[in-house]
Amino acid sequence: MGYINAIIILGGINVIAALGVAILTGYTGLFSIGHAGFMALGGYMCAIMVMEFNVPFAIALLIGGTFAGLCSFIIGYPAFRSRLRGDYFAIATLGFSEAIRLVLNNTYEVVGGAFGYMGMSTLTTLPVILIAVALALYFAHMFVTSQYGKNCIAVSQDEVAAQMMGVNLLRTKLIALFISAFYAGVAGGLLGFYMAYLSPSFFSITRSSDLLAAVVFGGIQSLIGPFITAFVLIAVPELLRFFAEWRLVVYGLLFVVVMLFRPQGLLGYVEMNFAFARRWWSKLTAKKDASAKGGAA
Amino acid sequence: MSTAILSLRDLTVDFGGVRAVNQVTLDIQPGELVGLIGPNGAGKTTVFNLITNSIQATSGDILFQGKSIRNKMPDAICRMGISRTFQNIRLFPQMSVYENVELALHNAPRYSILEAFVRTPRASRIEKETRQRAFELLEMVSLKDYVHEKAANLPYGLQRRLEMARAMAANPSLLLLDEPAAGMNEDECNDLIKLIRQIHTQMGYAIIMIEHHMNVVMDLCAGSRIYVLNLGSILAVGSPAEIQSNPDVIKAYLGERRNVR
Repeated sequence: MGYINAIIILGGINVIAALGVAILTGYTGLFSIGHAGFMALGGYMCAIMVMEFNVPFAIALLIGGTFAGLCSFIIGYPAFRSRLRGDYFAIATLGFSEAIRLVLNNTYEVVGGAFGYMGMSTLTTLPVILIAVALALYFAHMFVTSQYGKNCIAVSQDEVAAQMMGVNLLRTKLIALFISAFYAGVAGGLLGFYMAYLSPSFFSITRSSDLLAAVVFGGIQSLIGPFITAFVLIAVPELLRFFAEWRLVVYGLLFVVVMLFRPQGLLGYVEMNFAFARRWWSKLTAKKDASAKGGAA
Repeated sequence: MSTAILSLRDLTVDFGGVRAVNQVTLDIQPGELVGLIGPNGAGKTTVFNLITNSIQATSGDILFQGKSIRNKMPDAICRMGISRTFQNIRLFPQMSVYENVELALHNAPRYSILEAFVRTPRASRIEKETRQRAFELLEMVSLKDYVHEKAANLPYGLQRRLEMARAMAANPSLLLLDEPAAGMNEDECNDLIKLIRQIHTQMGYAIIMIEHHMNVVMDLCAGSRIYVLNLGSILAVGSPAEIQSNPDVIKAYLGERRNVR
């Protein structure tokens, strides 16, 4: 049971971070391979808040997320001002996150350097994760269906047309990046208080690329796609432990296959909704009505 | 001329060694519909790009409602009230017809980001108003039956109409139409003339229209002026009849008779 718990918790943490990447990459069209950096910023901030200042865990998570979000402006503002796009922006985020990791690795005051930040308690339990994931999904859905979210989609589809139609590109991109980094920061905080310590090695480029992989597999302009794949990408390697050394090979193969046959991702453009359930329900009730009428006649 | 909604003052732009637009000066009054014609490569679309500042002018000035907009960002210019359509259609292909129009309506969201997350009653009300307005505009360009269709799936003529609805959604006081009749046959042109006239009278926008279909321009600008642009400079200004009989214009379009014999 503990083992299943662990998979669900780690999967849930990955899901929250992946939802953040989905807002940035899936909806706004900005590729990031540096979200581990935002996770680290949020995670350490959250840990320091709880351990040094006795801030309640939930509030510390929000502070961590906000801190990561604010730090994202350091990379976002100059990058978007100079209109860095596509690969160039991705490289910039990669550099940013590696810089954060190296700074943490070499700062022994407070954060413990390469040894990591230790002595944390385990506050991330299964109920906490389930609530956090539910809230994260709900708010992400609210954002992408709002006027702000629609502006993000427009920017991803045709930046020039969006700007000509009056969308402020810089502001729209910064909002998306802020929210995305906020999600990553919260995920980082949850991770730290599940592992009971934080180490810079948690936040390597592998984690960033795993998150991007979840979004690319899951599908662009979709929340439910990355939600599922982010969980599966954590769960499957665990279930197939004996297969572990082939994991990256399989990832690579999957990437190629998805890019070739479904470039928009498995659930690309499929928005989370319950229309299918409603259709199903109406069909069911219609049948009942029909049979009831048949019975009456 | 202080009442002009848009004045271009000696507007000039160089692309490397090429002077694409050369000292163009023109004034548009509020509610006026003027045509902008000229042979291919005359710089007509470049003038539009300069007005919306997607290209920076080399010299000269652009005054909109008396204020210089030369250093404003394109999105700010749109929100000030200059909206445009594109020669090569630029819709948001994966968004629905409705969403395309809606986007221009809320280019600057009218509720705060926190309200977006919790969707307060105020935010929901604003969403509802936006929806109504979008439907009105779509009805006006008779696209109401295609509301949920993906923009990319619309036939060409309807995409042009959608572009116009989207441009109107930005609530402009000056509308720039870049070849609205491009690629349309005669029937479609006639429908388009009706639509543009309807938009013009109903909404009261000032409209500048680039067009190659002479019957469309001559018909719509019958009561006003046509500017003829050639090699980046204004060649002639006048009523349709004056333009049609202007020897310089005919020369620019058709070339000169060479008396070889």
